[in-house]
Amino acid sequence: MAEGSWEVTQSRGQAVALRVGDPGLLAAFVAVGALLLGFVLYPTLRVISYPALVDYLAVPHNARWIAAMRNSLMMMLLSTGSATVVGFLYAYATTREDLPGRRVFQTLSLLPLFSPAFMVAFAYILMFGRQGLITKTLLGLDVNIFGWHGLWLVQTVAFFPYAALIIGQVLEAINPTLEHAARGLGADEWTLFRTVTVPLARPGLAAAMLLVAISVLADFGNAVVIAGNLPLLATEAWYRIEGLADLTGAAVVVSLLLLPTAGLFILERVWVSRRLYTAITGRGSRLVRPATPWYFRWPLVAFCTVVAVLILLVYAAVLAGAFARTWGYNWTLTLDHWRLALVQAGGQLVNSVKVGVASALLTSIVALVAAFLTSRRRYRVERALDVLAVLPAAMPGVFIGIGFLLAFNQPPLVLGGTAWILILALTFWHIPFGYQAATAGLKQIDRSIEEAAADLGASGLRVLTDVYLPLLRGAFAASFVTAFIRAVTNLSIVVFLVTPRNLVATYSILSMISGGFWGAAAALTTALLGVTFLAVASARLAISRGLRGLPVG
Amino acid sequence: MAEVRLVDVSKRFGGLAAVDRVSLHVPEGSFYTLLGPSGCGKTTTLRIVAGFYPPDRGDVFIGTTRVNDLPPYLRQTAMVFQEYALFPHMTVFENVAYGLRMRHVGSPDLARRVAAALSLVGLIGVERTFPSRLSGGQQQRVALARALVVEPEVLLLDEPLSNLDAKLRVRVRTEIRQLQRQLGKTVLYVTHDQEEALAISDRIAVMDRGRVQQIGTPVEIYHHPANRFVADFVGLANFVEAEVAGPDTLRVGKVILRAPLDGTRQHAAQGGVAGGRVTLVLRPEAIRLHRLAPQADNVLPGQIRTASFLGTLARYWVEAAGLTWIVDVPSPGETVYGGEVFLEIPRDRMHILRES
Repeated sequence: MAEGSWEVTQSRGQAVALRVGDPGLLAAFVAVGALLLGFVLYPTLRVISYPALVDYLAVPHNARWIAAMRNSLMMMLLSTGSATVVGFLYAYATTREDLPGRRVFQTLSLLPLFSPAFMVAFAYILMFGRQGLITKTLLGLDVNIFGWHGLWLVQTVAFFPYAALIIGQVLEAINPTLEHAARGLGADEWTLFRTVTVPLARPGLAAAMLLVAISVLADFGNAVVIAGNLPLLATEAWYRIEGLADLTGAAVVVSLLLLPTAGLFILERVWVSRRLYTAITGRGSRLVRPATPWYFRWPLVAFCTVVAVLILLVYAAVLAGAFARTWGYNWTLTLDHWRLALVQAGGQLVNSVKVGVASALLTSIVALVAAFLTSRRRYRVERALDVLAVLPAAMPGVFIGIGFLLAFNQPPLVLGGTAWILILALTFWHIPFGYQAATAGLKQIDRSIEEAAADLGASGLRVLTDVYLPLLRGAFAASFVTAFIRAVTNLSIVVFLVTPRNLVATYSILSMISGGFWGAAAALTTALLGVTFLAVASARLAISRGLRGLPVG
Repeated sequence: MAEVRLVDVSKRFGGLAAVDRVSLHVPEGSFYTLLGPSGCGKTTTLRIVAGFYPPDRGDVFIGTTRVNDLPPYLRQTAMVFQEYALFPHMTVFENVAYGLRMRHVGSPDLARRVAAALSLVGLIGVERTFPSRLSGGQQQRVALARALVVEPEVLLLDEPLSNLDAKLRVRVRTEIRQLQRQLGKTVLYVTHDQEEALAISDRIAVMDRGRVQQIGTPVEIYHHPANRFVADFVGLANFVEAEVAGPDTLRVGKVILRAPLDGTRQHAAQGGVAGGRVTLVLRPEAIRLHRLAPQADNVLPGQIRTASFLGTLARYWVEAAGLTWIVDVPSPGETVYGGEVFLEIPRDRMHILRES
């Protein structure tokens, strides 16, 4: 204990000498602070303060909004519960070394993370809807997938990968010696699961649940495609603006949505993530886990296979949709959809990529500089900067979308109608991901390296460019690719900020789906998927190339 | 070259006085060691000299310049870090060249100086290698070369050997000492290893809880510790509580010992006052062990409880006068004793501390 607090106080004292009075750092600090205040705090306050108090007071009398709130919370409970359970079982299965096909299962569960938000919903309409390949053509059923049950299925499949990823890290970190010890003391597999695995995974479960809950509440893409007539907060905001041009109503609705997401986010930050951190550090044991008995192994394989098929159906449906002449009626192959998609929306795909690259670049740079500036947490302003940099993670995309709509269509800064409003909204929504990656990377670099550079004469910004930037190349590339993929697949922000001159692919896909042009929508979605997978592949290549010869740690 | 002076330097971290009114004078060209347990303030003191922390109070001088407000790189100091802090993404050459580049040294001169620094520490042929490919000892040399290449007035070393294995530690510390002599650099060296401090220093400042406990040459520190902390931290010692029984006479339990009470200068005035309490500090090698009772003062009959053969010496735990005494017998050959023995405590090897 004494040692630990000693370390903290030491690094605090050091900040004073190294950081104060460095003009370059001061300028960087002011710049990043101004950006975060202007593009995170200002739009937030603009949304909340846009409606008058009476508009908020009128909420209890608005039956549709009450229903939307109730439905949103219900979907949150249903989808979070199912996605967490599926995610946990999937992670439990795929972290066992002796599970047949575990690598394939693991890779498959990552696919939805690189895909547009509405894709699962669209694909399941193609597979299980009234014209569904499986429901109508193969089984001859007449099924209505629109509504809460369809949305439940779709959100479970779309969001369980997040849960599996987080829980998987925690399970992976559980020292196998504990399992051997429990076995040695006479525990059977079920007892081991109940008394060792589940209790140790609890912080991971909690973190996964909160993250999935936020994602479900904020889910716009799936809801807008498959929820049908079910009022939900995330989609209600858009209907207010699209149908009624009711900015006030939209602002009220997204403010209502911000309450639970921000609450869950704060809960995650102050309560769970700290425990999670201690749980997932300290690996290093090379011991192999004890073998999984057959009566555990085969049910797990069966379960993973079912989930994997549900994921594969998503991609199969979209790919098939892009080539089938008339879905549900005429299954002959055609390239017409591609022609339509690329003629109508080819430019929008290019536009998506441009917006994606610009915003991802901005996100990664601002996030890295912000992480560097706050890495000492010495002063109150540094802590304030830290809060601003993670704040957007608490906000649903629709909130940011309306925030930028309200904030930047009027002086002092008018961006409406330009690509910049879209780029900046996406940039600052994704700051927390890049920021957290950069902060984690900075933590792994020993402080004395910075001191050595300063001792030899490097100024504050030289330390950043000479030492931290080269060492954080990997984190930078990862944050760039993540931000890029999230930007090109985003719908929730895009729908509020595109104009006819600045359309992007996801918006066109939504229009095609709602206009009944399923083939073209499928073709354009396939093309978009191609872009994201290409980005992932090239990033992997770049990282493995760039880091060759560079030591790890 | 320059001397280093600290005058009443204090530094607090929160409620903790990390460095408390420390005054030091490091003469030009000397090898000066700050010795103490972890948390004693030695590293903080070094970092104050380096310029990583400003002192809360007091002044730091390098040469004749007061450097309190100078940033690290303007102080004519260079630091070697405990973890080496080599830039992992730069080759050995780039690491060593970094400080010169920051000083805008032109490339022909730069290459020559880097090569000179590397050959000084005995590293040749690894210029294009990344630090992670080097052994711990080689990394240590790169760190040393990186510090030396900027030609600092004062070299600061923060536990530079603590990450090396025992044999290498001894070899490298000798090399560092030779290098210091050869270059005539002023060195301020931090370590918690008392043997290391004794072996290489001109002067040692022993620190505890932020305060300097004693400053002296290795011989002074070892044989004439100023207080119980220093005696306990540096080397091994028997501490014997005793009562003054008369002029130059101590009583330990029922045993009477002749002791040079008046010989201890600072306590001469009270030396012979009966009833005063003192602590006798006896190094294990200062006590002689006999099989038969010798004709001498201060002989105690005793019984060997445990014996431990350490190669260059044999260490005994002997019970005598109701106490356990640790006694070292140098070059024991193949002989390890047991049973009844006699301890002889020579007067001139006794060190006496007043109760404070």
